[in-house]
Amino acid sequence: MNLLVNGETVEHSGEGDLLSLLTEVGANPKLCAVMVNGSVVPRETWADTALSENDEIEILVFASGG
Amino acid sequence: MSTELRIGDQCLPSRLIMGTGKFADTATMIRSVEASGTGLVTVALRRFNRELVEDDLYGPLSELKTVQLMPNTSGAMDAKEAVRAALLSREISGSPFLKLEIHPNPHHLLPDPIETYEAARILVKEGFLVMPYVPADPVLCKRLEDIGCASVMPLGAPIGTGKGLTTQEMLRIIIRDSSIPVIVDAGLRSPAEAAAAMELGCDAVLVNSAVAAAEAPERMAEAFAMGVEAGRMAWEAGLMPTSEAAIASSPLTSFLAGRNE
Repeated sequence: MNLLVNGETVEHSGEGDLLSLLTEVGANPKLCAVMVNGSVVPRETWADTALSENDEIEILVFASGG
Repeated sequence: MSTELRIGDQCLPSRLIMGTGKFADTATMIRSVEASGTGLVTVALRRFNRELVEDDLYGPLSELKTVQLMPNTSGAMDAKEAVRAALLSREISGSPFLKLEIHPNPHHLLPDPIETYEAARILVKEGFLVMPYVPADPVLCKRLEDIGCASVMPLGAPIGTGKGLTTQEMLRIIIRDSSIPVIVDAGLRSPAEAAAAMELGCDAVLVNSAVAAAEAPERMAEAFAMGVEAGRMAWEAGLMPTSEAAIASSPLTSFLAGRNE
């Protein structure tokens, strides 16, 4: 299934849930937050969040800032 | 030592809050944070990038056990985006602190008071300790207090300019009228300015560029800690009144008069 992850097309071949996508793209689940189609998804529900074709996913981490 | 800083239900060990941006590298930033003695540092959100994993700040910062994180909403163009950034940040850190900043114009980075007020209203209800970065406007600051913000953070000068306490007279009014902590955020360049802000009665100062862009950031962080502490102690000690006329501090006795003849 094709997903738009942080603005780039990613072909996801895993389980189709959010947690497996994070593992696939190399994001540490403890260090990130995720939005699917503009909505914040709580981390407790990542394993149960099924993704669909063309979903837009944003994976965010902390960076330095003032 | 000066008295401790309380923000909402949280106590902080220092009245200096540090930003983590613009440092040459993460190691220098961490050493500067430690040297500052701060208990609260700001962080921003960015997109995850597989190529920049070692740049993730949460790991090294969370090892500093006495330091709490204050995520900011930098990059938000309006209230809706700021609320979203705040909720995402809380997913990562769980921190109650939030630096609310909405400054859509890149030329001056001045805060948008209308969007900031709207976002603050929502985020207070979400349970955050909302600490908005705002223009030094006493009316706006009071309105933000009224809706439940944990502090107000009026600017000394535009972000990164190092122009100092250009808003001093407005800050005096804000401090006089506020029942929540007033924190000068942005524009400071020197520890003397931080001390001056504290002598005015500010509860804390937030600095980033002044430390990060110094020749020796770690030393400057320590210097700011001393400036903040000196200024706060001076305010607590009560500055002497000023006078137009000279008032002698030594006895003006006349026993020397006429002995040169």
